[in-house]
Parts: sequence; structure tokens; C-alpha cells
Amino acid sequence: MAQGVAQRVIELVVEVLDVNALIVRIDLNAVLARVELNGLLGRVDLNQVIDRVDLNQVIDRVDLNQVIDRVDLNQVIDRVDMNKLMARVDINEIAGRLDIEALVKNTDLGALLASSSSTIVTEAVDLGRSHAVSMDDTLTRWVSRLRRNHTGRAGPPELLDAQEEP
Amino acid sequence: MTAPADVGLPEPMPRDGGTPALPAPAPLSVPQHLRGHYAGFASRFIAFVFDCVLSIAVFEIVLAAASFASSVLTGTSIHWNRGNLWVVLAFFAWEFLYYAYFWTASGKTPGMQLVGVQVVGRDGSHVGTRRGLVRTLAFPLSFLLLGLGFVGILLGRDHRALHDSIADTAVVYTWDARAARLRFLAREGNGRR
Repeated sequence: MAQGVAQRVIELVVEVLDVNALIVRIDLNAVLARVELNGLLGRVDLNQVIDRVDLNQVIDRVDLNQVIDRVDLNQVIDRVDMNKLMARVDINEIAGRLDIEALVKNTDLGALLASSSSTIVTEAVDLGRSHAVSMDDTLTRWVSRLRRNHTGRAGPPELLDAQEEP
Repeated sequence: MTAPADVGLPEPMPRDGGTPALPAPAPLSVPQHLRGHYAGFASRFIAFVFDCVLSIAVFEIVLAAASFASSVLTGTSIHWNRGNLWVVLAFFAWEFLYYAYFWTASGKTPGMQLVGVQVVGRDGSHVGTRRGLVRTLAFPLSFLLLGLGFVGILLGRDHRALHDSIADTAVVYTWDARAARLRFLAREGNGRR
């Protein structure tokens, strides 16, 4: 019964608690300065933590702008070992999930890419090469037809093998 | 043996397979990945024509300069015709130097650079000095046999000409068609906005 009462009291306290007011009263920089972030990050299974938290509910209750205003992000970033953090992230997997073509087509990255290459010359060269390759393919098809489905080799095996390596 | 990566083909990709692509725009409706694949007749012919024009133009300019210097110094000018044995010899020497230098140094003449093809060893390694020189010496043979030396580019499985067979070389695409396609999409996207 005592446990039930305690649980009920905790629930009431949590409901009454104004999280924002609480955060205002805490010197977050001082707290962060006392935490060994790298050690902490190394010991925490972030994926498991994230799975168990209803982030939307938490975010709804927190005034993020106020929190961000009070935190010296540069100081936090300075203390994080980025190399160690990046070593734990599978960049290839992230890159594999990106639609690079859509990204290039719809963002300023495309503008950057287009302006960084001397466009008119590059466009003309690309176009010329495309036509040359199309002619190559047409000739190869004709020869293949004349020689009754004779198929050529794609390229030097070592070059092609190297292409298949990750 | 030099690794294929030394030939300037850092990230060659297979012609078949790969990620499914968006519908290709008309001018770039060519296979997406070409690096390391044998180059065809048209690409090689265009590269050769460009090299001919460039090398002859440079020769003419140098000859004109030499002719001017000669007329100033000795009063006789040099004329570019078949009767002048020295000019003919100088022309062939220049052509030899032109191809030998580019093939041995990088495997690419300016024309090949423009079209996006490169001479490599038969196994895909760097062409090297010996093979580059042998290829340059054997190159005229393909013409002297009434052009029959070039038939292998059209009919052979490896698209190799007679001089390729003699020098143990091949010509492959070095053109990154994928990068070209991304540039094309970028321009298309910017044009729309």
C-alpha cells in the first residue's frame, strides 16, 4: 500500500512539475562542464535509449529554443571527440539511403556542382562523348548482328574486377 | 605490374547492373558506367581525327615560324610540299614524337583526352614506355595494310587494332558517365528553378 501511495505521489508531482521552469533554474553549462561526455557517449547504447523514449512527447513539453539559447554549443562540440563519434557511424549506409540524383536536382548542391564546372565547355564535351558512345554502341550492335550474336568482351578483366570491389 | 588504379581509373564501375536509374535524358541516354570498358570504333576515330588536326596545325605553325626565320636569315623560305624531303621527314618525326610522348607518358593524346578514352596494357595496367613506343612504331602498319589493321576494332572481341595486338595494349573508356549525368541533372534542375 505504501508503494502504491508513493507511486501516486510521484505521478502527481510529475504532472504538476513545470519542466521549463525547472530548466530555467538549472545552470546547464555548469552541468555539462562536469560531465565527461566522451566517456558517457561510449557507454551508452544510444539506439536502445532512443527506442524507449517517446521523443515527441518530451519535445512537446520542452521549449527547445530556450534550452539552445542557454547552451554554449561550441563548448560542447569542442569536448566531443568527433573522430571517435564518426568511427561509430556507418557513413556508407547513410550515403546509400540518400537519393543523390534527387539531391543534386533539387538543392543548391546542384547549383554548386553546375557552377563549379565550366558549364558550357563541360556540357559540349559531355554531349560529344555521349554521341560518340552511342555510335560505338550502334556499330557494335551491327557487327554483332552481322556476326550472328557475336558478343565482345566488356573490358580488361583486371579493370572490371577492380570496379566490382567496394 | 601496375594496378589498374594507376591508370587514372580510380572508381571504375560495371556497365551492367548497379542502382536503377531515373529515366535518362535524351543527350545522355548512354550506358551509365563506362570506365574500364573497351572503347569502340567511333570514339577512337574521333580522337584520331582531332589528333591529326591538332598535330598538323602545330606542325604548320612551327613550319611557318621556321620559314619566316629562314627567309629573314638566308633569304629562302621553306615550303610544305611532298617534294621537300626534309619537311616530310620532319613531319613524320613530329608525328612520331607526338604520339610516342602522349602514349608513353599518360596513355592519352589530347584527342583521346577529349573523347574520354585511354591506351592501357592488355591487362589494364599502365601502358609504360616500352609498349607506348612499340605501339607508336606499329601504328603506321595499320594504315599501310590498306586500313585492314583497324578492322579488329570493329570485329574483334576486345576492339583491338593491329598495333594494339603488336604492342599488347587496348583502348578503354576513362569517361565518368555517371558524373556527367549528375552535372546534366544539376543544370536541368537549375534551369527549372
